[in-house]
Amino acid sequence: MRAFTAGLWASLALAVAFLAVPLAALFLRVPPGELVSQLGSETAREALWVTVKANAVAQVIVLVVGTPAAYLLATRRFRGRDLVISVLELPLVLPPAVAGVALLAAFGRSGLLGGELEALGITIPFTEAAVVIAVCFVSSPFFVRAAITGFEGVEQQLVDAARTLGARAPRVFWRISLPLAAGSLGAGATLGFARGLGEFGATIMFAGSLPGVTQTMPLAIYDALDRDFDVALALGALLVLVSIAILLVTKALPRWARALSPSTSPSPSARSLSS
Amino acid sequence: MLTALLAGCGGSGDALRVFAASSLRGALPALDPGADYVFAGSETLATQIREGAGADVFVSASPRAMTGLVESGDVEQPTTFASNRLVVVVPRSRDDGIRSFTDLARPGVRLVLAGEGVPAGDYARDALRAAGLLDGALANVVSLEDAVSGVVAKVALGEADAGVVYATDARIARDDVRVIPVPAQDQPRIAYLVAPVVRGDVAAARAFVARLTGSAGRRVLEEAGFTPVGG
Repeated sequence: MRAFTAGLWASLALAVAFLAVPLAALFLRVPPGELVSQLGSETAREALWVTVKANAVAQVIVLVVGTPAAYLLATRRFRGRDLVISVLELPLVLPPAVAGVALLAAFGRSGLLGGELEALGITIPFTEAAVVIAVCFVSSPFFVRAAITGFEGVEQQLVDAARTLGARAPRVFWRISLPLAAGSLGAGATLGFARGLGEFGATIMFAGSLPGVTQTMPLAIYDALDRDFDVALALGALLVLVSIAILLVTKALPRWARALSPSTSPSPSARSLSS
Repeated sequence: MLTALLAGCGGSGDALRVFAASSLRGALPALDPGADYVFAGSETLATQIREGAGADVFVSASPRAMTGLVESGDVEQPTTFASNRLVVVVPRSRDDGIRSFTDLARPGVRLVLAGEGVPAGDYARDALRAAGLLDGALANVVSLEDAVSGVVAKVALGEADAGVVYATDARIARDDVRVIPVPAQDQPRIAYLVAPVVRGDVAAARAFVARLTGSAGRRVLEEAGFTPVGG
């Protein structure tokens, strides 16, 4: 038994070391002065701003469209449901560069909808909108998957009880399902946001790379590789710090949600309600 | 870009590993089909070699990327073996009225260049500066690509109105792009250099360099649109 536990710890240590050593090495390679001066550089500020802005807008879109869509998929069974879910999950397994080419093929000037868009005076490639679209495309599955799981986890007895007491479907959604799934939604949104921050392949294909407009942090890092390796390292370290902060928030979010509104927590109060 | 990322993943056994500037994609494989090629921006490749990527030969599109590796002792003495010309490319699929080099500075042109530090990007800036078009052209830039292949792709797909690339890239993509010349007086001197990587298989690398600078190399380079130098 002791050997078993030791084996578990050894595996964990190996996994943590494998992932942490390159990151630690990154920070050791960055001259500390460079990291500080990069924080104030125009390249880093512009890239950070482009990244955060595009990701914030993308997450709002994903939340607004993804939440009702995930609720439907979690609460209804219909023909082709598995296929629909597979389509929504596809960007998870698609190489981002392929996503970028696909987006160009759809929304580019010479793309499927390019003529219609151009007639409306809309050109998407090389704009901030293109960055938002690329981020939505690659990061939405993270939120949608978590949201479906979250809504599916809502106890059916609670919903049935509410319906018996006369609550209509919208009220059940707003007062029962949404609050109970909030932890999962938050975690999914944050993970999607973290994935979006690192988005590279789809963005460089679909949106190009122009400082202050479409050049996100990952693109700025790749661009800096051609000029100054130290700058690239410093920008990389900066992005790692931001990403770690976001992932820590993800872990803390369900705890905060519970602390703030104990009545909407699935356990233990919810369980006492349903029993 | 993707090939560069895969560079660290090892190739097929003992084949010679050639790290070469993207613009040589159309020429080098014909010279030695048995070698493994990694094509990317010269500076990206130089960084990878400095970090210990398993290259035997480095072929650079700029003296700068090569000089850095000579100074750090990562490569042997380089040989200049070819030169190239810049051209403007525009998509065949559309006509945005771009007829000359000076049109690149016309407001509203969606121009794509390689980024600063990428040889193709630096050369394009030199040519635009020589023609007095730099400010106007830079104001038109919609994307700065990390390698010349990115510029070609954006124009070939019809997403950009114009790009500045090497004549050799335009030749590869001739089904999708039309070529507009850059005037001779604005052409920068574009030198291609090759050197064996010190940590690699130096003997095989020297043989590759000899072949590249010999008659077989000259023929392949000329076919791809380069101008062989020396020999």
